[in-house]
Amino acid sequence: MTKQSHNFMLKVANLRKDFATIRAVDGVSFEVQRGQIFGLIGRNGAGKTTTIRMVLNILQPDIGEITYDGKKFTGEIRNIVGYLPEERGLYKKSKLLDTILYFAQLRGMDAAKATSEAERWLKRSELISYKDKKVEELSKGNQQKVQFITSIIHDPQLVVLDEPFAGLDPVNQILFKDILLEMKQRNKAIIFSTHQMDQAEKLSDDICLINHGRVVLNGSVRDVKKRYGNNSVHLEYEGDGSFLRSLSGVKNAMMYENSAELQLSDGFNVQQLLPQIISKLELRKFELREPSLQSIFIQTVGEKDAEA
Amino acid sequence: MNKALVVAKWEYLEKVKSKAFLIGLFITPMIMVGMGVLPGLLANKEDESTKTIGVVDASGELFEPLSKRMEKYRLSNGNPNYLLQPVAVGRNVDVATAATEADTKVQRDDIEGYIILGANAFKDSIVEYRSKAAGDFRLINRLESNLKNILSERKFAEKGLDPKLVNELRAPLDVKTVRVSKSGEKEETDFLRTFFSAYIYLMMLFFLIITSGQLLVRSVIEEKANRIVEVLVSSCTSTELMAGKVLGLSALGFTQIGFWALIGFASTAKFGTSFFPPTSQLLLMLVYFVLGYLFYSAIFIALGSPVTTEQEAQQINGYLIMFLVLPIALVLPVMQHPNAAWVKILTFIPLLTPTFMALRIPIQIPTIFEIVTTVLILLLSTYFMMIAAGRIFRIAILATGKRPSIGELWRWVVQP
Repeated sequence: MTKQSHNFMLKVANLRKDFATIRAVDGVSFEVQRGQIFGLIGRNGAGKTTTIRMVLNILQPDIGEITYDGKKFTGEIRNIVGYLPEERGLYKKSKLLDTILYFAQLRGMDAAKATSEAERWLKRSELISYKDKKVEELSKGNQQKVQFITSIIHDPQLVVLDEPFAGLDPVNQILFKDILLEMKQRNKAIIFSTHQMDQAEKLSDDICLINHGRVVLNGSVRDVKKRYGNNSVHLEYEGDGSFLRSLSGVKNAMMYENSAELQLSDGFNVQQLLPQIISKLELRKFELREPSLQSIFIQTVGEKDAEA
Repeated sequence: MNKALVVAKWEYLEKVKSKAFLIGLFITPMIMVGMGVLPGLLANKEDESTKTIGVVDASGELFEPLSKRMEKYRLSNGNPNYLLQPVAVGRNVDVATAATEADTKVQRDDIEGYIILGANAFKDSIVEYRSKAAGDFRLINRLESNLKNILSERKFAEKGLDPKLVNELRAPLDVKTVRVSKSGEKEETDFLRTFFSAYIYLMMLFFLIITSGQLLVRSVIEEKANRIVEVLVSSCTSTELMAGKVLGLSALGFTQIGFWALIGFASTAKFGTSFFPPTSQLLLMLVYFVLGYLFYSAIFIALGSPVTTEQEAQQINGYLIMFLVLPIALVLPVMQHPNAAWVKILTFIPLLTPTFMALRIPIQIPTIFEIVTTVLILLLSTYFMMIAAGRIFRIAILATGKRPSIGELWRWVVQP
């Protein structure tokens, strides 16, 4: 074990939350270390956002305990957490800089420090020339950047980002990722939720897969993948690959445009597979490695469930 | 800085800078002044040229004295305001024919209008004025008062009384209301003054509650719609958020009222009369004003924070305005019977206390017992209403979708 117990920034134990007749979160436990990006993954409606709201003390759990550096929630915790909610919104009629300063001061920053930090972040996001413009005059993408700034301006110890990449263009995705990786370097704890597995796979150290309010998979991305063995074939090709699904020895297949991921039955030798394919498709890549998070996700929550 | 203050500052500055607020600040008093003063100004506008008035006088005796008396009215350039033109004057004129003739003159704009004095004008005291526009109140007033004087002087003369003596005897009368206070001192009060100061007090309370209440509901709706509220309640407690909003928006309301009050002072200063009761009474009224405002605000929060759409907000607004209009509707009866038992009893209802007290204090200071108990009751109800509002607010700001029922609201209040 490389983890040291004193290093846990956040510990969540046995959370449960009911809404009327629905159990939204049911016995969720996980731990997030400093210097770690933690992916909370699951389908829409799996209970990610409810869990996040309890972590941020917006909602109170019915049962369970949340500790921050070993301590229970206090008013001071509010000043060391940052939050980017899933649904995006800012005060439309307010000016950019004013808006950022407001949220910064609500996190306990003094006005002078908040102003200098706000200007630094606006420069970095190439928004400095808009600082006295109203939020509604900005494009959606730029509004998202502003909101992102409001969630990290106070240099929080724990940042919680609910679907941070949804609706972002590739350039801004890279900006967000860079900032998150920097925060990780600076020993902050970062939680982000997503239903896009490729993102979770690329960015997270640890993941927690929640389905129907329960944790179904938990651990480092590497460990999780190892658990699923080294028996996935990743293909890239040209031609009609629809037959791949029905090949003998293929337990599961995920088909994409001109690429596929085949999961082999236990004990099936990959050498028997290649001849069946090579005659029918023009292969550009044939690789045997661990399954992608996407395929693990689908195996775990069930194909039907995953598509819904 | 305390986070409630951060919220208050934000709410205040963002709204005070908004165009809507600035427009409201200037437009509202302009509309009020416009509605109150303009028609009066226009109606009182002096005539610019001499008006010719036809006279059909079947008594044969009224034309002369009337036209003499009407000569005293002058235009600003010194010319006579009215010129009386006989259409038919004499004992034997045919009123119907003369009227037809006068009608054509009116149609041709030869005369402004004409007055018909019947043969029995002395006895039945009925005269008629006919014109295209029957709205010249000043002219009619002048004709009426002068005719009255002529007629009554004639009648007195018939009874053998000297018209001069009669005028001396007919001294003008002005009824003053005198308030007898406990110590037996007599103080003059003016019913109108009390009435208007009470009305101003009520309108100020009304506008303050409506302005800040609406802004509060609107800001909650916006924050709910774009989920900013989640960030807010992860940054501060819902109590801090609510306190901040109430503080900031009240300050905003007071800014508005204060500005209007200044305009009011400035524009009434020339009349020399202060609309306000003595300082001691004013301070007492202020206590009721602030408590009443806070009490109403709490009601606004409790009913307004569960709202998720503009339409619902307007509906809720309607109910709340009814709460406010009720006391205003009771202004007159309370002023007429400030010591009636029903008034005293209703004063203890927190919703009515501020208004009733505002009406009663300038007329007669209520007993110490009444003051202490009503303040206590109002204070306690405000306190509990605020707690209840806070509990509703805490849950309501995160709730979206269907508006909760009264039963649900109650559960939110009583659950720990």
